[in-house]
This record gives sequence, structure tokens and C-alpha cells, in this order.
Amino acid sequence: MNFLFHSVRWRLQLWHALILMGLIAAVCVLAYRLAADERRERIDRELEAFERAFIRKVWELPSDKPKDGLPPSTEEIRQRFLGIDDASKFPLELRDLFDPAATDRPYLAYWDGEGKVIYRSANAPECLKLPAFPPADVSQQPRTRGQFRELVRVGPRGFRSISGRDVTPDRTALKSLALQITAGGTALWLVGLLGGWWIAGRAIRPIDAISRTASRIAGGNLSERIDIAGADNELSRLSGVLNETFDRLSASIERQREFTADASHELRTPLTVILSEISRGLKRDRSPEEYRDILENCQHAATRMRSLVEALLVLARQDGDPKGAPRSRANLADIAADVVDLLKPLGDERGISIRTELAPAFFLGDSQAISMAAGNLLGNAIRHQAPGGSAVISVFSKDQKAILEVADTGPGIAAEHLPRLFDRFYRVDAARGSDGGHAGLGLAIAKAIVENHHGTIGVESVVGEGSVFRIQLPLADSTVRA
Amino acid sequence: MRLLIIEDDPLLLRSLTAGLREENYAVDTATDGESGFFKASTSDYDCIILDGMLPVFDGWELLRRLRPIKRTPVLMLTARDAVPDRVRGLDAGADDYLTKPFDGEELLARIRAIIRRSSGEASSEILLGEVSVDSAARIVSLRGEEVPLTPREYSLVEYLAFHRGQVVSRSELYDHLFDENEDTLSNLLDVHVSNVRKKLGAEFITTRRGHGYCIE
Repeated sequence: MNFLFHSVRWRLQLWHALILMGLIAAVCVLAYRLAADERRERIDRELEAFERAFIRKVWELPSDKPKDGLPPSTEEIRQRFLGIDDASKFPLELRDLFDPAATDRPYLAYWDGEGKVIYRSANAPECLKLPAFPPADVSQQPRTRGQFRELVRVGPRGFRSISGRDVTPDRTALKSLALQITAGGTALWLVGLLGGWWIAGRAIRPIDAISRTASRIAGGNLSERIDIAGADNELSRLSGVLNETFDRLSASIERQREFTADASHELRTPLTVILSEISRGLKRDRSPEEYRDILENCQHAATRMRSLVEALLVLARQDGDPKGAPRSRANLADIAADVVDLLKPLGDERGISIRTELAPAFFLGDSQAISMAAGNLLGNAIRHQAPGGSAVISVFSKDQKAILEVADTGPGIAAEHLPRLFDRFYRVDAARGSDGGHAGLGLAIAKAIVENHHGTIGVESVVGEGSVFRIQLPLADSTVRA
Repeated sequence: MRLLIIEDDPLLLRSLTAGLREENYAVDTATDGESGFFKASTSDYDCIILDGMLPVFDGWELLRRLRPIKRTPVLMLTARDAVPDRVRGLDAGADDYLTKPFDGEELLARIRAIIRRSSGEASSEILLGEVSVDSAARIVSLRGEEVPLTPREYSLVEYLAFHRGQVVSRSELYDHLFDENEDTLSNLLDVHVSNVRKKLGAEFITTRRGHGYCIE
């Protein structure tokens, strides 16, 4: 049963059924009430007309009283009613009054002011009693008494009359009408349900298609996409959004896959060196110098693996939860000065002069991480140019940005490399291992760090003249408090 | 046997070269696709050990360019162990495929197997009358007795054994027994040949004057 409430189609269907049932029931009840009221009013009018016809006939009967134009006296009226006995003097439509068996026809009874019966038709039911006075302001009032519908009238001088009829046949007719309406309403409801089921199914079908596609994608078929050919509606727009999400997801999975392949490639090479050196060393007895040589090779390889693993860890940390890193106000110029101090020996060793142009520029973030990014840029500037070159590191603030620039006088970077320069493991020159750096991860690490600080990193380069790498970070709101 | 190693990683290149030289192979080296292709296409090597990822152009591209002009056996070494990469390497003309990291002994065994197969031998043991050459153990026996040979002498016997029945010219022997860095004196080969004859019998290697040497 539970699944019914977990299916949109079933819930739609349920609501649809309830609302449709309410509407149809309301219409049916209304129709029945109208029909019943109309029939009762017709009966009331019929009774009224019947009674008038009877009175008219009574007064038309021949009488021994002379026609003096005076209104008849009470006694005269009483005599007239008591004198009704001959059915043959009445027209056909009134003759049933004299037939005790004609209980399904209208009946009549009259009482005088003293409450004495002055006329009672033969077909009147036994239970017919003198009616109580109706409220003073009405002279005539219809009422329903058991199976009878009666019209009570009060005439002048306390005369009272009841004209009534057994309404059992009308009630039977109404009952059958009610049955018909119920049957019709139910049929209509069922047709509505079927239609609703069909419409809900049509509305749900694209959702089913989406969910099937999505589960195929979840199953590993990343190239699968939802078919959005056709109408431009909410669902196709949703599908479009989902497809875009899938595109981004599969691109990022693909990038992750490439990254893993590259990382394993970079780790495998030094590992091969270690294995091959060890097996060479174990093969035969050697002089201590040879052993030292082998061990040094192993050490080189292991050092390379260590720096690679460290770089991968930094990247993983940047990819993971950057919010966990400490955030504080820091001066980019201080960081740049520290980085220069750290790399000065390397610059001296390679014959590269380092100049600084530092103006205070504050940012909010992890100063250690930013220092690593700046260090990678400056390290590259030192490593990738011939001795005698120079590197300039400058810090300033501009347009609400704290900016750090590293400019070198190196060979520059060809335009075709620029778009992928910050990709992980991307190398301008495919030669490996010689620079002892981050195996093509230095710029990727810098980029990850800067982007985690909501900053941007970019490069401008002219082949033969040099390159300028630029880190831009959001400037901290006030540079006074430090 | 003379090998060419094309590998861009300086540490690995050094380690492989040292290991193979200790196994008495003559080893030449190249560190990028272009120079590797130049060496591979201008000299006759017994086997080329080729890394997949190389500067200038990669190992697969090198194979694609080399195959129309040389049938030298190629053993590819790469860190890419995905099936499509291996298929690509073998389809491009590599004879064998070894993924990093590999064991030094396995590399040696595969090099031996590749050289043996390219010379048409099915077994690592070659029988030449009373002399047998075990190319796996690098041992030469005469009437069941192991004969001590220097590595160079062994290489000479092995090369001639792999090409038995053919006349091998002196320059071919120089090409396959000495690497590009050795400044060989022209009579060094004669010294080795005469030493082998002393150990295995004068008629074991016949001289075809003006043509070269031959093992029948």
C-alpha cells in the first residue's frame, strides 16, 4: 500500500479522484434537489388548483337558496358542504373523491369554525385530523405528513380545509431518479478517473525516461544523456539542466581519471628506478662505491616520489575542505618578502637576480597556502630561465584587489601552451624529472590555492621576452587593522 | 648484442643503462623521440627499449615512423597500463610491452626472449655440434663441460650462434658487440675470435676472407 503514496502518479490519481468525486457528488445532489423541489411545488400547485376547482363546483351546484347577491352565511356554507353526496353532479376529474378505493388521488376535507367536519372525501385517509391553525399571517400552508403532501387553508370565519395527496408514487419516481443520477455520476467519475490516469501517465512518462536515463548514468554509462528533443516545457527544461549537470560531472570525472593516470605515471617512474637499482645491486657483489652509487640513485628516486606525494597531498587538501584552513588577515607584501628570502639561495645558485617592489596589500586567508603559491611562481621564474636573468616580484593593491606579480626574463611561453598551463601535470617541455620540482603540479597547486581564496591567477607571456604571472585576491576591507 | 634505450627520465635511463651494460649488452641511449628515432633508423640494434612518454614525439609516434624502415624488435616500457594503451603500442609495432614499475630480472628475460625470437630461435639453448649455447644462463659448454668465456667472447659466440649458417661481416659484429661510445681498435675483434677458437676448437668459427665470420 505504501508505494501508492510514494508514486506521484498514484497520488495525482488519488487527488484527482477525490476532487472529481466531490464535484460530481455536488452536481448530482444539486440536480436531485432541484428535481425534488420542482416536483413538490408542482404537487402544491396541483393541490391548490384541485381544491379551487372543487370549491367552484360546489358553489355551482343548484341550491334552494335564492340568489340575493349577499355573501353566503356560515350556516349556508355548512349546508352546502354537508349536502355534497352525489358524485354524478361532479366532473370526471373530481369523481375520485367519492371512491374510497382511489387513495392515490387527491382528497379533501373541510371543517367549520367550530372544528366540525363539514366535508370529508371518501378517499381521504383515516388519519386525517383537524389541522391546527397555521400562523396568523398565512392563509395557506403546504405541509408533508408521512406519505402525504397536504395544503392547509384557513378561510374566513374559521373554515379550514385540507387538500392532500399520497406522494408515494412521486417518491418512488424520485428514488429512481436518484438512482439514475448516482449511476450516471459514478459512470462519469470512472470515465474521469480513466482520463486522469491517462493524463497523469503522459505527464509522468518523461519523468520515467529521465529517471531511467539517470540510473543508467549512475550505473556507469557516463556518455548517456536525456533525450530532450520535443516540446519546450518544464520537464524538458529540467532535462536540459540535468544534462548540463551530467556533462559537468562526466568532465570532472574524466579530469579526475586523467589526473589519477598522470599521478600514477609520475609515481611509477621513480618506483621503477628504485626496483631496477635494487635488483641490480643484489645481483652480484660490488665495491662500496658502486653500492653508494646505487643507493644514491634510489635516494633521488625516493626524494622525487616524496615531493610528488607532498604536492598531491597539497592538491587533495585544496580540493577537499578549504574552509578548514585557518583564515586570517595577512599582508601579501610580507608573504612575498618571506618567499624571496626562502628562494634567494636558489636564485644565487642559478645566477638569477631577484628584485622586489612591495607595497602593503592585505587579504583574508591562509597565508601559508598563499605563500606556497607565490613560492611556486617565483621558483618557476628562477628555474625556467638561463643564468643572468632576473625575476621581479611585486605586490600592490588596485580595484579592490590585492595583486602579486612575478615577472621573469625567461624564454616565454608559446601561446598554444597558455590555455593548459595551469592544468595538473601539464608541461611545456615534456622532459621530466630534471628540475626536481613538482612534476608539473606547481602551477596547478597555485591555481587551486588562489581559487580557494576566491582569487584569480593568470599569465601573460611573450616568447623571447619573458612571462608575468599574476595572482589577484580580494582586498581585505580595511588595511588599518592588521 | 647491442641495445638502444630511449627514455627521458635521467635517473631511470642511467639505472637501465648500468644494469644492461653489466649484463654485457652494448647500450646506446637517447632521451627524446627525435634523437631516438634518428639512432634507431641509422643503426642496426638487436633490441630497442622504448619509453611511451617522450619529449618531441612520443614512443607510439616513433614506432609509427620507424616500422616502415626498420624491423628492429621493440620492447615498450610505459607507465600507462590501460588496455587501450597496450593495444595501441602492440598494434603500432611493438614486440612486447612492459609496464612500470617492473622487475629488473623480468626486463632482462624479456629482452633475451625478444632477441631470440627475432633470430628465429624458439629455445634459449642452441646446439652447435659439440658446443651448446645457453642464452638464458649465458653459458657455453663443450661436450657438456662449461667453458669459461669473457662477456665479450660470450657475446661474439651468441651473436654468431643466433646467425648460424650465415656469414656475419666484421662491421656487423662491431655494430652489435660495441656501443657507440667505444673507440674500438680494429684488431680487437680478431683477438676475441682467436680466444674463442682456442677455447672451443679452431674450426668452431670459420673465416670467410673478405666477408666475415661464420658458425656452420
